[in-house]
Amino acid sequence: MEKLHFNFDTKDAISKPVHVGVVASGDLEVIFRPTDKQTEVNIVTGSDGFKEVWSNVLKRFFDRYPIQANIEINDFGSTPGVVNLRLTQALEELHDEK
Amino acid sequence: MLKDVPQEMIDRVKVLTGVELTDDDKAYQDSIQIQLGILLLQLFNIRQLKQAKQFPDAVAGHSLGIFAAGVAAGVISEDDAIKIVFIRSTKMQESYPVGYGMGAIVGLTRKEVSTLVEQVNSETEPVFTSNQNSELQTVISGSIAGIKKVLNLAKENSAQKTVLLKVPVPSHSPLMQSVADVLEKELSNVTLHDPSCTYLANFNGHAVRKVDGVKYDMINNLVHPVYWDTMMDVAQELGIDTTLEVQPGQTFTKLVKSKFPDFRTITMNNMNIDDIEFLLEKWKRG
Amino acid sequence: MVKRSWTQNRDAKAAKMESIASILDGKFVDTKNAKELFEEVIKPGDKVVLEGDNQKQASFLSKTLASVNPERVHDLHMIMSSVSRPEHLDIFETGIAKKLDFSFAGPQSTRISQMIADGTVEVGDIHTYLELYARLYVDLIPNVVLVAADKVDHDGNLYTGANTEETPVIVESAAFKDGIVIVQANEIVDKVPRVDIPGGWVDVVVPADEPYQLEPLFTRDPQNVTELQILMGMMAIRGIYEKHNVQSVNHGVGFNTAAIELLLPTYGEQLGLKGKIVPNWEVNPTPTLIPAIESGWVQTIHSFGGEVGMENYIAHRPDIFFVGKDGTMRSNRAFGQMAGQYALDMFVGSTLQIDQFGNSSTVTNGRLSGFGGAPNMGSNPTGRRHSTPAWQSLRPDNDPLGKGQKLVVQMVETFGSNKKPVFVDHLDAEEVRGEAKLANVPIMIYSEDTTHIVTEEGIAYLYKTDSMAERKAAIEAIAGVTPVGLRSNAKELADLRAKGIVALPEDLGVHRSEAKRSLLAAQNMDDLVKWSDGLYNPPAKFRSWS
Repeated sequence: MEKLHFNFDTKDAISKPVHVGVVASGDLEVIFRPTDKQTEVNIVTGSDGFKEVWSNVLKRFFDRYPIQANIEINDFGSTPGVVNLRLTQALEELHDEK
Repeated sequence: MLKDVPQEMIDRVKVLTGVELTDDDKAYQDSIQIQLGILLLQLFNIRQLKQAKQFPDAVAGHSLGIFAAGVAAGVISEDDAIKIVFIRSTKMQESYPVGYGMGAIVGLTRKEVSTLVEQVNSETEPVFTSNQNSELQTVISGSIAGIKKVLNLAKENSAQKTVLLKVPVPSHSPLMQSVADVLEKELSNVTLHDPSCTYLANFNGHAVRKVDGVKYDMINNLVHPVYWDTMMDVAQELGIDTTLEVQPGQTFTKLVKSKFPDFRTITMNNMNIDDIEFLLEKWKRG
Repeated sequence: MVKRSWTQNRDAKAAKMESIASILDGKFVDTKNAKELFEEVIKPGDKVVLEGDNQKQASFLSKTLASVNPERVHDLHMIMSSVSRPEHLDIFETGIAKKLDFSFAGPQSTRISQMIADGTVEVGDIHTYLELYARLYVDLIPNVVLVAADKVDHDGNLYTGANTEETPVIVESAAFKDGIVIVQANEIVDKVPRVDIPGGWVDVVVPADEPYQLEPLFTRDPQNVTELQILMGMMAIRGIYEKHNVQSVNHGVGFNTAAIELLLPTYGEQLGLKGKIVPNWEVNPTPTLIPAIESGWVQTIHSFGGEVGMENYIAHRPDIFFVGKDGTMRSNRAFGQMAGQYALDMFVGSTLQIDQFGNSSTVTNGRLSGFGGAPNMGSNPTGRRHSTPAWQSLRPDNDPLGKGQKLVVQMVETFGSNKKPVFVDHLDAEEVRGEAKLANVPIMIYSEDTTHIVTEEGIAYLYKTDSMAERKAAIEAIAGVTPVGLRSNAKELADLRAKGIVALPEDLGVHRSEAKRSLLAAQNMDDLVKWSDGLYNPPAKFRSWS
């Protein structure tokens, strides 16, 4: 198990909390919470050694969608593709609610 | 470890090698005691299986394990296996008193590990890509200094886990050539037979059906990586779907299970011979 | 001057048949005499075709061949579309066989790689199926062919039924060129349900000790379709099937295409595409197509082979499948591959690796798997002149003589299940070529033939690129956070999207939140059985009940 922490300087504030995904084998849950502080991502993952991959996935995500949020991720061995799917699904839910 | 092994077998080791297996924790600090102890336990397991009329279609040993595999396949006698393992373990112990060993890297492919090893390996700090235990579990072998550098690089390159193994010898690397030279001489005086079943060779992962391939493995496997993962691929392609692991432990059963979840597995470590016989007969009936 | 005989082959065959007169009763040889039969009629150096593809195996005859005395039968030149069973390679270790021409070796990929490298197996070529079949009539004309039948009558007429597969193309190559046709049969009957191979083409029949081996290779449990595959399927339906108005298609074996099959009756229906796309299929009777068939999406299916468990369903749907008067399906692998290469608008498959240029291969990590149908179906037949909208939609606008192109689509996740990148700078296949000393790098589908790549990130329309640099950029843009993908930046992506070379889900109107398993027309095997009105009978290993 590994705990990872990332910060980003993104400024598009989100209005509502969102929760997508489940902690199941090959999957993860993603929770977005509004914040007025710096964007922060806290990850608990069952697979060690993927810090760089996480960093790349998140960097690409925030490049495309510069939201300001406090993000909690609980991961159980998902591939980068699944991570990105859950992040973008959470994003879509935010827009739907607008 | 040897509580079930007949005294007669333990005495035989004394006669053949002069080593008295005292079977206690203190004795097992010594690598000759531990290697002979494991071999003897495995030879006893093989006797049990023969008595229960259970014969393998293929045998696979890992490093020291090839000698018990050779006995199970009728290639080498128990006595000769004991004598050769005694010499092998003695020469291993003498070869590199300090500064050498092995490390394990989980989460990188063999190709990725080899690239890192090439960056570090030098005459003063030799290190080699060694055993392939599974697709993403590779062992490296050589000087402790070299190993540590590769392990650090591996961590930087997203390995899930790196460990310096508690092994005082750079086994399964070219650094073991002197031991192979001794074994070549010793094995030239030993009568060996064609295997009675498929023998999966450590040094190249191939299926071997002739004595020459087994003999080469017995002499040289310390110089080559153990291609365990390939051995298991070949076993599966040969139609094997059931494995039985002799004592001690269940390391290899775990590797098999994660590679082939559908395989039926037995470990002698946690099952008695009557139950094993019952299960094997049941599976044979289908 | 000595006049040459023009019937030397016929005379040699007659002599061989004469030599087995004592064990031959009509066309029949006892099961127990099979070894003796082989030792008499198979001569050292003979070209021998052994039937066996990825589904059906002449397993009794292959075991018999492995049991012959290598002193009598040796150095054979084996021609097999698939190297699948242990004895297919054992015969090379014992010297019975020496040379091998083949297509696929997935189930023996480690051993074959080792045996080619150490010289135990001498490879002629690793063919596409159609090349292999075609060469049986040119320079690989067999001396002996060993095939499998379900039923045989007393005149040697064969019923091969749903799994006719490659039997006809193999038998014909020997029957009319003085080769010897040897058949293993599951069952001897007074009258076969229908004649798939006429008895006149058959020389010897041996009753087998057990039915030939048959694998349910194309059965995918909907339970194992992931949301990522659903997302990719939705993108493919919108961004490819709909966009190019695809009418005829082949799907590969994987879960990506199973997802598409299960999305047609739901997502496809919502998009109003029913009746507009993919009525005609060249595909094995995969159970995941049942909902699409039942809800009227599919009009016709021709198949390479059968599929265990689908027999009864197919028998009740003769409007869809190719079914004989007797009520059972007929498949034909050679015609299927021909259709796959020439007739179809589109092939959709998957792979284990794609390189930076767009070449793909399933040969990885010292495993020489060869390839199934993908190289035929996943290649562009340049001589073709179709008028279908899909073919025409890839025709360049600026060239009056320009040709259309077959759609060849690769669907992959950017990372494999072992969390290693699928997109790589160089294919492992390049190394395997060196290790196994092959003439060609074992590439499954070449970049130039690949028109689209779909990943969870988006679709790259490779056919629209006008340089290798642009093609590489398009691949990078959808390669996620693999080392190849990390070379792409936001500006490049924006440019490629503007040009229509890359599309993200939002560009296609695909909502990621809709990519849920509940969108699948069937969630599990039980659902498929229900859709089939109880006519589909899943093999035991796919059943969670009973």
